[in-house]
Amino acid sequence: MKRLFSSITDGRGFDITLVTLPLIFLFVLSGLPLVYNIVMSFQEVDMFSLGTFVRPFVGFKNYVDLFKQPETLPIIYNTVLFVVGSIAGQFLIGFGLALFFWVNFPGASWLRGLFLVSWVMPGLVVGAIWNWVLSGDFGVLNFILRESGLISTNIFWRSDPNFSLWAVVIANIWLGTSFNMILLSVGLSSIPGDLYEAAELDGANAWQRFWTITLPMMRSTIGAIVSLGLIFTLQQFDLFAAITDGGPNNSSNVTQYWAWDLSFRQYDFGKGATISVIMIVFVMFASIVYVRSTKHEVRG
Amino acid sequence: MNDTNRNRLMLFIAIVLAAIYLFPLYWMYITALKSGSEMFANPPSFWPSSPQWGTYAYVWESRNMGRYLWNSVVIAFGSVALITVLGVGCAYVLARYRNMWVDIGLFLILMLQVLPASLMITPIFVGFSQFGLLDYPRFAVILAIAAKSMPFFVVLVRATFMAVPMELEEAALVDGNSRFGAFFNIVLPLARNGILVSAILIFMQAFGEFVYSKSMIQEAELQPASVGLNSFMGPNTSEWNNIMAYATMYVTPVLAIFVLLQRRIVSGLTSGALK
Amino acid sequence: MTNQIELSGVNKHYGAFHALKNINLEIAKGSFVALVGPSGCGKSTLLRSLAGLESISEGDLKIAGELMNNVPPRKRDVAMVFQSYALYPHMTVEENLTYSLRIRGVAKAEAKKAAADVAATTGLSNLLKRYPRELSGGQRQRVAMSRAIIRHPKAFLFDEPLSNLDAALRVHMRKEIRALHDRLGATSVYVTHDQIEAMTMADHVVVMREGVIEQQGKPLELYDTPANKFVAGFIGSPAMNFIPGIVQADGSGLAIDLGTVKHTLPSNRQLQPGRKVTVGIRPEHIGITATGQGTFDIPVDVVESTGSATFITAATTPELTIVETGRSTACGGETIGVTINPVQLHLFDDATGVRI
Repeated sequence: MKRLFSSITDGRGFDITLVTLPLIFLFVLSGLPLVYNIVMSFQEVDMFSLGTFVRPFVGFKNYVDLFKQPETLPIIYNTVLFVVGSIAGQFLIGFGLALFFWVNFPGASWLRGLFLVSWVMPGLVVGAIWNWVLSGDFGVLNFILRESGLISTNIFWRSDPNFSLWAVVIANIWLGTSFNMILLSVGLSSIPGDLYEAAELDGANAWQRFWTITLPMMRSTIGAIVSLGLIFTLQQFDLFAAITDGGPNNSSNVTQYWAWDLSFRQYDFGKGATISVIMIVFVMFASIVYVRSTKHEVRG
Repeated sequence: MNDTNRNRLMLFIAIVLAAIYLFPLYWMYITALKSGSEMFANPPSFWPSSPQWGTYAYVWESRNMGRYLWNSVVIAFGSVALITVLGVGCAYVLARYRNMWVDIGLFLILMLQVLPASLMITPIFVGFSQFGLLDYPRFAVILAIAAKSMPFFVVLVRATFMAVPMELEEAALVDGNSRFGAFFNIVLPLARNGILVSAILIFMQAFGEFVYSKSMIQEAELQPASVGLNSFMGPNTSEWNNIMAYATMYVTPVLAIFVLLQRRIVSGLTSGALK
Repeated sequence: MTNQIELSGVNKHYGAFHALKNINLEIAKGSFVALVGPSGCGKSTLLRSLAGLESISEGDLKIAGELMNNVPPRKRDVAMVFQSYALYPHMTVEENLTYSLRIRGVAKAEAKKAAADVAATTGLSNLLKRYPRELSGGQRQRVAMSRAIIRHPKAFLFDEPLSNLDAALRVHMRKEIRALHDRLGATSVYVTHDQIEAMTMADHVVVMREGVIEQQGKPLELYDTPANKFVAGFIGSPAMNFIPGIVQADGSGLAIDLGTVKHTLPSNRQLQPGRKVTVGIRPEHIGITATGQGTFDIPVDVVESTGSATFITAATTPELTIVETGRSTACGGETIGVTINPVQLHLFDDATGVRI
């Protein structure tokens, strides 16, 4: 007994205790639900059977029913559009800003950090603000677009099925660009300065230096950032709740919002679990890419 | 153009860019001050003509913001406390060793931070209700948030521990400390800053958490400010000045903390997120 | 012989800091010029100004007769070997070599052939497909040089290229670099803080301190007739001994003060009596003999032997250092006699340090 105690304060036991407690916690609260999701997707779950573990086993019925529903494919398509649009916008604008600030001038690093407010604010508040900004008749975005001549009549961002998804995309780009910018800045500054000097002496102009030195050397950083972006975009929920609620008529619905809706508004927990399982597969894939891009370091 | 002039120009452009980017924030603050009719002015006014400071008091009272904000604080602090207690030790061990087990542990943890709350809520809700945890809604939310955010915390804090040289810990052991003593007296104080920054980031995330809170807390008494805001905004919402006033009061404390600690937060993020 | 590089009246300011002060330097085509000096003397700044990586505030810089003040680096046609080599880590050795050619639009096949040719001369032929991280320090060095060679530039600029190598490799690479220079008939400017490298490799040595050229000339000129105290103490290892002295009444005797030992040295120069001077004598120019049989006697403090040479430190103020080849009979704590040949004395003005 004494040996056990001394091992805990002074030996291997110490490390093992420190790690296993949190891991057990995570296992119970994240791992088990994961498994439970899979189990529920094969069961018929309704309001009355919520309290029990044993529910009728229905095999792949939930999955088949899901794909028979007419809204399934459009929602999946929306999700793809949402992810691609968000990541593209966040990455391109973030990279542009990172390059701009990388030139470095007094005040640069402080100003750069200021952009991060978009990332730390509660998602619902960001959604509320953009909801108002994107308002059809009174929103300031429409005003600016009209004044600058880009559009002639108001776009009804939230209620027009053609634009509702893009409304959320715009808000999401605003939310995530600063995070991208910060990480890209770190990647840029890890490239040694004398490589650029060598390239300049070798005859490369600014564009050639960007293309042959900067981009290739940022490859693993870019991989990490894009996969992180994929992970965060698939987690995005609050903006949908605040701006369009998935509508009108599912035109801005995406799988992660739909999963919640199925469970908590339509009380079809079985279907909610089913979509969750499908999505989690994709999300896991993205995280494997992320982990592989960040594989290297030793303790300082 | 010589260097100083170029720097000034860049600074000017940077300020313009920041102003453009932060415009939505500005819009939130001034909308809260506009009167009901000025809100709907066409063209929209970019400066409130007669600031309605009374809106804040009105919204605070009528929406019972005090209670909502209190719940947000309770949930956020609870989550941070739980995550810190469990996560610091875990991060320490994962930073100290590098072998197959650690790699597996890291991989699993990284995978777990990937799961969206909106997907995990289904089994968590069902599971919690079966175990009666939903009778303690805020505690249930704290548990769920802790499980969601701990991986992120562990990743960030692990990076902090990696920056503490192993030699210091070894010197402490040689001087007669037990492993526990070396950890508590030497390593932990050195990592304090990084841990603090990570805790603040987690706090800000938990303060704004929405999915778990909305799904698991039915009584308005116990709901946090995010859910309060959501219930404020129906489909045909038009009292935007009130909504923005609510948002302002909800968000300004977080913004203030962020602006003050911005430097530290950015460096904490950059050292952790890419590793 | 024409001048490949010419600097006249060159000044560089970093804000209030005056980094280069009125530099005048002519580098003939085909010559190997070393820029030496202590840290912060401006030698790297000067080199980078030649490359165009820094701009000069005043003065003219000409390369091959053309004014280059405002010409960007990529148009100057000079090649630089960096201290850190600056090899492109994401490209193979071959791609590193052909980079400058590819940038200019040279056909791929032609570029590859050029790379193969250069690799043959620098012994890199079987490393062409490797990445820089797979190479040793010496190999990376050679890749850096090959990358410069392949361009046939107007001048080669070396920025302390050997400081990251171990001592044995450095000695070997010194010879390789100089041999390469001769083979190519190139014009080279070589920055180093190691005066031995400068002395052994260069045709023309430029000693700098605090932004100013203290002296320039052939290596042995600087050794034999240093223009001032700084150059005298910088060139030659171990460093020259400096002893305070006063000119005697007869105008040619030098009363030197070594603390416990005082002596009057004969000098073959006619100087103003009472003038304060600094007497310089190199450690290798002081001979050892039995007490009473030399110019004067000194107490010995420490004797260190490397096997091939013996370093004797005298317990005087200032400390005298003496170098003997081979073994020596001197022992610590003893007194020995030293012989000094007046011809080998260097005299510097006490106040200005300038050679008399």
